[in-house]
Amino acid sequence: MIKIENLSVAFDGPEVVKNVSLELKDGEILGVVGESGSGKSVTALTLMGLVAESARVTSGKIYFDDTLLLEAGKPRDKALYRKFQGDRMSMVFQEPMTSLNPTQRVGKQVDEVLRLHTQLDAAERKKAVLNAFASVGLKEAETVYSSYAHQLSGGMRQRVMIAMAVILEPRLLVADEPTTALDVTVQNQIISLLQDINRKQHNAMLFITHDLNLARRICHRIAVMKDGCVVEQGETEQIFNQPAQEYTRRLIEAVPSRLKKRKSVQLSSEQEKDIVPVVQVRDLSVFYRDAGNSLFGRKRRHCVVKNVDFELYPGESLGLVGESGCGKTTLSKAILGINREIEGQVLHNTLRPQMIFQDPYSSLNPAKTVGWQLQEPLRARGAIDGSQEMTKADMEEAAYDMLRRVGMEEKYFHRRPSQLSGGQRQRVSIAQALITHPGFIVADEPVSALDVTIQAQIMELMRRLQQEMKLSYLFISHDINVVYHMCDRIMVMKDGRIIETGRTEEIFGAPREEYTRLLLAASQDRNKD
Amino acid sequence: MKLFAAGKKWNKYFVAGLIMTGLAVLLGVLGLFWTPYSTTAMSAAERFAAPSLRHWFGTDNFGRDIFSRVMQGMSTTILISAAVVLISGAAGVLLGALTGYFGGVLDEAVMRVTDAVNGFPSILLALVMISILGNGRQNLILSLGIVFVPSYVRIVRGEYLRLRDADYIKRARLMGVGRFRILFVHILPNILPVFGVSVMIGLNNAILAESGMSYLGIGVQAPDASLGNMLSDAQGYLQAAPWYALAPGLVIVWIVLGFSLFGEGIRRQME
Repeated sequence: MIKIENLSVAFDGPEVVKNVSLELKDGEILGVVGESGSGKSVTALTLMGLVAESARVTSGKIYFDDTLLLEAGKPRDKALYRKFQGDRMSMVFQEPMTSLNPTQRVGKQVDEVLRLHTQLDAAERKKAVLNAFASVGLKEAETVYSSYAHQLSGGMRQRVMIAMAVILEPRLLVADEPTTALDVTVQNQIISLLQDINRKQHNAMLFITHDLNLARRICHRIAVMKDGCVVEQGETEQIFNQPAQEYTRRLIEAVPSRLKKRKSVQLSSEQEKDIVPVVQVRDLSVFYRDAGNSLFGRKRRHCVVKNVDFELYPGESLGLVGESGCGKTTLSKAILGINREIEGQVLHNTLRPQMIFQDPYSSLNPAKTVGWQLQEPLRARGAIDGSQEMTKADMEEAAYDMLRRVGMEEKYFHRRPSQLSGGQRQRVSIAQALITHPGFIVADEPVSALDVTIQAQIMELMRRLQQEMKLSYLFISHDINVVYHMCDRIMVMKDGRIIETGRTEEIFGAPREEYTRLLLAASQDRNKD
Repeated sequence: MKLFAAGKKWNKYFVAGLIMTGLAVLLGVLGLFWTPYSTTAMSAAERFAAPSLRHWFGTDNFGRDIFSRVMQGMSTTILISAAVVLISGAAGVLLGALTGYFGGVLDEAVMRVTDAVNGFPSILLALVMISILGNGRQNLILSLGIVFVPSYVRIVRGEYLRLRDADYIKRARLMGVGRFRILFVHILPNILPVFGVSVMIGLNNAILAESGMSYLGIGVQAPDASLGNMLSDAQGYLQAAPWYALAPGLVIVWIVLGFSLFGEGIRRQME
């Protein structure tokens, strides 16, 4: 049994973990759920003895069975920890690419765990590693053994990481967002794998995630963290069905779920037929050229998007769904004219469609104030078309107006992006995209990098602005539940082709393609066991 | 990112660098208008006077006050170096921005030329240029300026290459912002921290190069004083008057150290 009592941790400044108490029994999966900055990772790293040296444990104790691992006020006993790490407790991280050494074959890296902790000879170790690979569902274990990390897919890398973590059958397995970097279908497989391991090895598992649906599927018990505190703790279904805390309720409600009623806003399909589409895409193929930057290198053309046809009507949200690498972003860039290696036609009926990007941290210019950035589209328009030129005062007024419309106070006008939170930055990005009233917006995973409560607010904002400003969205997402709430029609993309298009209700109710069914099942929010 | 964000502690590098360079620049600027003694007035009676209260750094083989000549030398050296950095920095920003952002044939051409320039020791190349253009301050500035362009081009080009695909730049393009506005209004402010540090390093290199050239007798000519030609003159009297060489030598070290600390201070302050 692992016991964390009253743990508080501080770096330079205030405590980031405050009086956290958790208990983990053998065979139990405890989910620690919270938004970024809630202290869930620091708690786990402290438990593992991996937290940065600058961290100070200001109160509390950690027990592993009867052994006192850590006590406030005493320095971390590294020798003691080393006896437990790897052997009795191990960890799976979020990003398998950076968790594996790129210069060593992955088999050797798993082998090292055995070499350090067991007396097995080389042949026995290799056999054990191959067995472990097979048990985490890696086919052709031999090939994987002698591969480098970059030769494996994200899912395979994460399986290798898991094999490495569980090969010694540790009593405690900490999984810190183990599936966040993976596609949904792969995510599902990894989750079942972790459940299998938990059943077979009967180890205690601390499962850290920001994704409540995921936590609900795998965890027996859940602890909800906010601002360093555990605000609520209990059996999974109880937390979901009767959350005692207001914050937990908000968190659960913010999750885009298909069980919640969808607000359908749009025109009927009969009406659509008479209206001129905002965008028409005809038999569009998009190519990618190898960046042969040398004078004499020959450039090869790869076809990334193949023969895409669709149109988007005024006021409509069209969802584009698919897993990473399927060509969603390439297609969107071709539609906006950023990528010109195309065949086929893109017909626009609006001026200067704009784009909202995923990463709120790189979509605003760090050197400029919010106000300056909001006015820049107006200045640019004035420079191109003299008749649209505005006075300084008008531009400023328009910028303030837009700032208010995206729900931000006027004081942010003179701030720089570094002084804003992720959600605020995304609001400014949206404001900047909309200030020229473009009519058509491509939103590329606009809420994927945000915490779930912020996600809900931004989706709400986008819906409201759509009504107010008669916008059409091409809404790209890997999260099919987000698309469900945002879109009227959905296109499913796979390997560069649109394999299925239909109204949201049709796609969710009766998907025609096997792949669509797979995607839907993978993001199902209730555990159907 | 901000240099003087509220509540940020001044780091020691920055403070030390600021004081050292500040003092040097102050003396140099003062030296343009006023020196304790005339820098050219000779006095047979006071040849090789050791440092004293009258002559802080002593006098040279013509009985001229070394402190006054060092002051003049500092102003000469700093002015020439500043001009060199101005020329090479401006050209570097322009070329680096164009090549980094647009790439293509222009990039290829400019980069190969900078490779060629980098292929020679910079002092040697400057020497060749001066021997073609002829002696004199302007030609010294011009040739050193040209020699130092490639180092700025590389740094600036790298930054533009990195930032040209940033999401906010893509969005600026979608808004219809003009190319040159993107280059110099949207991107340029973002590379200033990196560029600022390289300017500091460049100033140091220019000071050393100028001193070296003047030492070799190219560059600033007698009777004007520069730190380099003073060193060269002092060479013959190392035993008779060690202070003659020591004064300009230590001042060069002082200035270079000051700018190095200042540059490092700025870099740390940005973090």
